Amino acid sequence: MQPIISVVNLHKEFRVFRHHRGALGALRNLLTRESRVVKAVDGLTFSIRRGELVGYLGPNGAGKSTTLKILTGILVPTSGEVRVNGRVPWRERKAHVARIGAVFGQRNILWWDLPVIESLDLLREIYKVPAATYRRNLDHFREVLALDDFLHTPVRSLSLGQSMRARAGVAGALVHDPDLVFLDEPTIGLDVVAKERIRQFIRHINRERGATVILTTHDLSDVEKLCERVMMIDHGHLLFDGQLEALRQRFGGERELVVDFAEDYPDVSVEEARIVERDGLRVTYRFTRGAVTASTLIGRLSARYRLLDLSVREPEIEDTVRRIYEERLLEKPGGNAGNEGTVGT
Amino acid sequence: MLSLYLRLISISLRSQMQYRLSFLLDALGSTFASLVEFVTLAAALTRFGSVGGWRLGEVAFLYGLVEMAFGTMDMVFSGFDPGYFSQQIRRGTFDQFLLRPASLVLQMFGSEFILRRLGRMAQGAAVFALSLWVLNLPWTPGKLMYLPVVFVSTVAFFGGLFVVGAATCFWTVEASEAINIFTYGGSTMLSYPMHIYADWMRRFFIFVVPGALLVYYPALFFLGKPDPLGLPPFMPFLAPLAGFGVLAAAFAFWQIGVRKYTSTGT
Amino acid sequence: MRPHEAQSVRGGEAASADWPAYAALARMAFQRQLAYRFANVSGLLTNGFFGLLRAYVLIALFGARHAGRVAGYSIGDAITYTGLTQALIAYIALWGWWDLMRSIRTGEVASDLSRPLDFFWYWCAQDFGRAAAQMLVRGLPIMAAYALVFRITLPPTPLHWLALLVTLALALFLSFCWRFIVSLSAFWMQDAVGIGRMAWIVVTFLSGFLMPVAFLPDWMQALMRYTFFPAMINTVVEVYLGLLDGPALLGALAAQLLWAVILYALARLVLAAGVRKLVIQGG
Repeated sequence: MQPIISVVNLHKEFRVFRHHRGALGALRNLLTRESRVVKAVDGLTFSIRRGELVGYLGPNGAGKSTTLKILTGILVPTSGEVRVNGRVPWRERKAHVARIGAVFGQRNILWWDLPVIESLDLLREIYKVPAATYRRNLDHFREVLALDDFLHTPVRSLSLGQSMRARAGVAGALVHDPDLVFLDEPTIGLDVVAKERIRQFIRHINRERGATVILTTHDLSDVEKLCERVMMIDHGHLLFDGQLEALRQRFGGERELVVDFAEDYPDVSVEEARIVERDGLRVTYRFTRGAVTASTLIGRLSARYRLLDLSVREPEIEDTVRRIYEERLLEKPGGNAGNEGTVGT
Repeated sequence: MLSLYLRLISISLRSQMQYRLSFLLDALGSTFASLVEFVTLAAALTRFGSVGGWRLGEVAFLYGLVEMAFGTMDMVFSGFDPGYFSQQIRRGTFDQFLLRPASLVLQMFGSEFILRRLGRMAQGAAVFALSLWVLNLPWTPGKLMYLPVVFVSTVAFFGGLFVVGAATCFWTVEASEAINIFTYGGSTMLSYPMHIYADWMRRFFIFVVPGALLVYYPALFFLGKPDPLGLPPFMPFLAPLAGFGVLAAAFAFWQIGVRKYTSTGT
Repeated sequence: MRPHEAQSVRGGEAASADWPAYAALARMAFQRQLAYRFANVSGLLTNGFFGLLRAYVLIALFGARHAGRVAGYSIGDAITYTGLTQALIAYIALWGWWDLMRSIRTGEVASDLSRPLDFFWYWCAQDFGRAAAQMLVRGLPIMAAYALVFRITLPPTPLHWLALLVTLALALFLSFCWRFIVSLSAFWMQDAVGIGRMAWIVVTFLSGFLMPVAFLPDWMQALMRYTFFPAMINTVVEVYLGLLDGPALLGALAAQLLWAVILYALARLVLAAGVRKLVIQGG
């Protein structure tokens, strides 16, 4: 089956002009145009199948926003092939945009001064949603996103923290039943309860309604809770594209073994593991994945001491990802010398 | 499409009407501002008698026509107002237009409709009415039919200038203030008979940015005055060509601007 | 905000001791204005262009009379007048000054009032700094451009140059008092911005900005002279062009001074009333 998104060797270069300062600088700006080329996206290739829920990760300036802008059709790439729903996004703007939903961070897709319900109705008209479909979706969103509390409130009066704006925005993005949804930082700035609500909704539209979802986020618990597939980008390159579990297996450097001893032994050290915490009878060991297996350690410990209980803990995905970026674990051989730097995402 | 446009501008209108008192004050203010300028000119004319040979009634005809057209344009093309559009670009809200399956130009027209600018239009109409009362012109059916054509063409002309101004925001947001010289400066300039200006200015506004073809030459026709510059006799009838020509060229430039924006981003 | 916190309104006594502070404020405002490079340049071009238009209109008004004088103005005087008034736009903030009104609307005014500086002079010092900068980047360049393009009139004698400096300072102070009072309306009204816009239009109308006062019908002139508005622009014009001499010159400057004092007193009254309102209703 045709993938819903197909990207082959995508490149996007920006020409960044040097901006001179001072009064003389203003003149120089006019006369000379010193510039350098910045590669925001450097040879990206991937495809996404219908119904996937993909997490798209990367630090600021990595090329995430640029990729999303190209996929949504508001930015034209320098070279490469992109097909979304069989179309080239920027060439058939209206047809392409009618089939997708996009929520970009804080920029609201609803109208500031209008009550939410009127914004949704206006979107219905713009997207030419059939009356029956609209009514069905509206009733559904009202229930699942609890919109009734603020359906008649203008967006400008909605509070940010309680996710009202995020909920209204997400409803607006989906009112026309898009089969492909781009969500850029949907849970940013929300409290824990609100985050969970939005996550549930995203899971729901993916599982129940079959929408393909591309989710960019800095909150890795979003990724952990929602995505099976993860794409990591940095300096315009795709560093990793695969299952979250595989990421953890390869790069989750250290694991933890928590042991509850039966007695208070004076010395509970064991080879190839170090003690990071000792709280009464409970001891936490840390050991390097690959250097020794959990079962080996358990074997050693149970041979010497009496154990009551134990458990193995995986590293936080947060830590794993940070390690990958900081220690450049996924750098291409030869480094990224071709990149001058990054341009804002 | 029309229904979508009306729906969009109703949003802008409603949010303006929310503050009724300040809306009224603003509308009065803008009427007052333009009126003040004309009243002062009229007062000076009692001492001087004429401006470049044109009496008060004749100047009022020209002045009123320009103000009516500019005021109307200022309302209808509010979305393209470079001052307002440069803010949209700066905040990145223009991207939302690109993400909706509707015509960009329609969304631009629908994004704003500043009703208080009606004041300028109203003031222009008052001055124009005054001129008609004072002048007692011989109206023929031809002239009566041509007058609204001139009006609409002038609105199109000024609208074209606004569209060009908005399009330049795709390259540099700073330039929007400089555009004011052409829009507001141009309208002020065209309010007075062209022959009072220096040669190079006249030539520029006849052959380069053909504002003179939209009001001055038609005015010569309506007022029955000879052309002091001795140009061909069909000049007064080029108004629709000039006006809509400028608007068409402006939209072509706008398209180039959109293409530039989508290839280099914000 | 409690009464004793509005100490800066009592004014007067503390003012003289704080000269360095006010000078520093003025310098800061001066530098701040200079930094708006693009706005300054585009403002300059706009002012210049409109000046050009106005000059041509006046030339056309003079028409056949261009050899002689009308109401004491030669054609050179009239052209110079357009340049001069355009140069003054930025200097006296003819078309709007919103800083104080904004501060009242956002509530920042409360912290301004609790400063150990006199509120009126605090704002006045900054306005003088701003005006000096704008005279430098917008006023003088326009006059220079005019001198290149047209044959302009200059003040005839050194006395007139001196009088020009005096009248410019008084005109600025007068304009500031007016803008100060109008801005204070924000203490009482929600939509002070609308009032402000009207106020600036009134100045344009009655100050002799659009046409020299002398060109207008006698009854209009009489009406205008009963107000202080001509003292903001028309007096400066007449001094500069040397249309006033000896006792008439002194008289005009004295009238400016008198209006300045009256407006200053009015500004103090309105400020005290505004602060009282703020204090009673809470900060």
